[in-house]
Amino acid sequence: MAVSAADVRSALSLPDSSAAGPSNPRKQPSMTRKPEGISRELYSLIGPSQPSLAAQAKPRLKQKPKFATGASAATKWSLRSFNNSARKDGLQLKHWAKASEDPETEYPFAKYNTQNPTYTYSQDEYNRFLDTANRSATPKDGKIEIEKYWTKELTDKLFKLYQEYDGRWHVIWDRADFPPDAGFDLEDLKHRYYSVCRKLIRNRPWPGDEASRVTLINSLQFDLEREQMRKRYLVSLESRTSEQLAEEEALYLEVRRLEQTERRFKHEREELMRTLAGMDSGLPHLVEDNGAPLGILPESRGLNKKRKPTGMDTEPPTPSGAGSSPSVKRPQSTKSAAYDAQHCIIRTELSSNTPATKAAHQPAYARSSKIPYLKNNAMQPKILQCFAEMGLSPSRLVMPTKENVHQLDGLLEAVTAMLDTKKHLDKVEYDIQVAKKQLAMRNGEGVEEGEDTVKNEDAMDVDQGTETEGNEGRGASVVSIRSARSRKKTHRSMSISSVDTTATSVSTRKRQKRG
Amino acid sequence: MVNYGGDEVSALVVDIGTSSLRAGYAGDDTPKSIIPTSFGYTPAPPEADVPMADGTEGEGQASTTKPKYANIYIRSERTLNMAARDGNWESYIHDFNPIPPLIRHALENVMRVDPTEHPILVTEPAWNTPENRERMAEIMFEEFNVPAFYIANTGVLNAFAAGKGSALVIDIGQSVASVTPVVDGFVLRKGLSHSPIPKFIQSLTKSLLSNHRNVNIDLWPHQLIASKMPVDLHQAPHYTLRTERVERTTKSWKDWAEQKEIEEWIQSIAQVPEQGWNDQVVARMPAKAYEFPTGYSAVFGAERYQVGEHMFFNNPQNASQPKIIMALVSDALRTCDPELRGVLASNVVLTGGGSLLTGVPGPAKHGTWKDGNIGKAIVGQRCK
Repeated sequence: MAVSAADVRSALSLPDSSAAGPSNPRKQPSMTRKPEGISRELYSLIGPSQPSLAAQAKPRLKQKPKFATGASAATKWSLRSFNNSARKDGLQLKHWAKASEDPETEYPFAKYNTQNPTYTYSQDEYNRFLDTANRSATPKDGKIEIEKYWTKELTDKLFKLYQEYDGRWHVIWDRADFPPDAGFDLEDLKHRYYSVCRKLIRNRPWPGDEASRVTLINSLQFDLEREQMRKRYLVSLESRTSEQLAEEEALYLEVRRLEQTERRFKHEREELMRTLAGMDSGLPHLVEDNGAPLGILPESRGLNKKRKPTGMDTEPPTPSGAGSSPSVKRPQSTKSAAYDAQHCIIRTELSSNTPATKAAHQPAYARSSKIPYLKNNAMQPKILQCFAEMGLSPSRLVMPTKENVHQLDGLLEAVTAMLDTKKHLDKVEYDIQVAKKQLAMRNGEGVEEGEDTVKNEDAMDVDQGTETEGNEGRGASVVSIRSARSRKKTHRSMSISSVDTTATSVSTRKRQKRG
Repeated sequence: MVNYGGDEVSALVVDIGTSSLRAGYAGDDTPKSIIPTSFGYTPAPPEADVPMADGTEGEGQASTTKPKYANIYIRSERTLNMAARDGNWESYIHDFNPIPPLIRHALENVMRVDPTEHPILVTEPAWNTPENRERMAEIMFEEFNVPAFYIANTGVLNAFAAGKGSALVIDIGQSVASVTPVVDGFVLRKGLSHSPIPKFIQSLTKSLLSNHRNVNIDLWPHQLIASKMPVDLHQAPHYTLRTERVERTTKSWKDWAEQKEIEEWIQSIAQVPEQGWNDQVVARMPAKAYEFPTGYSAVFGAERYQVGEHMFFNNPQNASQPKIIMALVSDALRTCDPELRGVLASNVVLTGGGSLLTGVPGPAKHGTWKDGNIGKAIVGQRCK
């Protein structure tokens, strides 16, 4: 190998490129020569900056396949004979198993050969507990007559069959050829088996606790009469003639049709009423119950109503006013009210002048956020002053229960009314004073005492109002009211006469409220 | 280890029926070998070993147990010079002599397996006798030296093949139609019922074809016909027989061949009417043409429905009619517990070659399965 790359280049009159190492000897010619697959015109346009897509990948020979070796090699399988531990006859069959598996491992399918627990009894146990002849001597609530007579042989046979067919009762019944004169039924077999099991459990010493024993006995319960009735019902269901079936079908269709007509009628009427009168039709809602076709008949609504107040478990009509017509909802029975009281349910009554069709929806809110607020700006300072006199704050209730809010509301109203009256009174008194002054001017005399009386009476009236309201009040806010009351009590007797004389209209109003 | 479906112990399955013997591997969808159960034989004593008509055809096995048959030849289509026998099944195996050669042929010549290496499962009808079972076990253990042997019930296997643990299996075979209630993988023997209605259908067809439009249709098999000319519909056929073969043909073989022709006709154009016999409806149904091996061709209209009708519907004019399939179904359901009726009636498995007769599921779909007090609401809903 004496010929170097440089020699070859010079021989082929290629430009010397000292930069081109042995790593890219192939690239060199492609830089200058037009590569195949590109037309001459295109090459003259794009020049040597041809897309690299045309880069040549030399065709390769098919690669030698990689044979897996070591860990990734194909698993070896071997045909082995195995022992099925679930078999008692020691039969050996062969199967394919992974060679890596231990041939001594337990046969994985053996675990599926499970058996139900079976009960056995000795002759002594049979004589003492299970002999039906013994038992019929002590009949219990008349149930003995439906039990058939069982001998030990038949019972043995039944237990053997049960074990053999693993409790598949239909197969047991098929295979059991009991003497026809015994007149056994499938239910009789079940009854006998389960009653024997129950008796055995009951009469044997029990290793576990009593609860597990009871659950076991309960799991072996069998109600012979009920099962027989169920089967009779099944038979009667199956023995319907085709006419009966057809009639049933027709009736069902008829009911569906009626229901549909009813619904359409209601819909149309509701729409009509809404358009014309702006109110609900007042028709009762149809119960949407496809499972019980008879439940959709209108009469059943009455039944529903009757059932409603029977107890706490039944729900009263939904309180949401949306959708349902108020005319239907309003006459809530007193029992319903009692129910509400019992469960502290408070219903927001819609005012009667709310248009019924407008879904008078009331969003939920916290009561404390809706404490009545003083609206009259002119009166506000006076009212606040009045409240301050009583030691109350009109904007804050320690315990805003319904009653307390109601009390506060009433109090505010009363205070406002009183202040109103007072204003009015002031005006009248001022007029009177003016008139008196004028009179005095005419007569030449002063009227000092009368003015005093009026002022005194004003203060008293406020007290009285608070007191009456406070008496009914409960909760924490009452405390402050009480204290106010005790403070002001002394004024009362002193000024009562003047109230009656001068402010009759105010006090009568208060009385009415009190009542 | 995939536990579903049990372990793979490379068992073989042998299912012997009236018309064919099926053998294959357990777990396969279809049998690997299906051979006809009918066979040709030379009666004993076999002084002169008669050469077979077609030396290359057939598999000869000497039966040693009983000298009734000197030789048994499987695939009897060409063995015309020998007496032919159907599988000789009247609802179950009556003659065990041909069984070992048949099984050997299916396993060793067709499947090419060594029976001594594989456990074998053999099927039996639900009314099989204990003696038959013993005989079968004897054959398997003593003649085939199988390592393990199990007899399973066809009804149960059919139900399992359809993926059902409880089912009402209606099996219409070549000689017997049966209804088997299967509950939790067990046959309810009290509800079992079977009837030779397929045989009745075949004899009915035979009488039908012997007097069709006042013509006795010749039922020569194609093996005996040398040449034939095309003729018009309902015209007398022009054909020549292979006289040299006809002379050699035994009577039993001819009967067997005729039987094949009848079955061919039934399978080709017979149909079950959907709702019982109704002259108007049947008259409206399209007629079908059928050409016999002799070249005679005819159009069959109502005749092809007559055959199916007798399978499913009671015909008061025909007193000899065995129990129809409807009666079998209602019998089976009536003897079952009322609790099971709904389950069984909604899980009907239809199987057997006879169920491939056109329109067999029809009566089921149209609710005419109702018979007696079995409500149509439960029966005939899902029959696949």
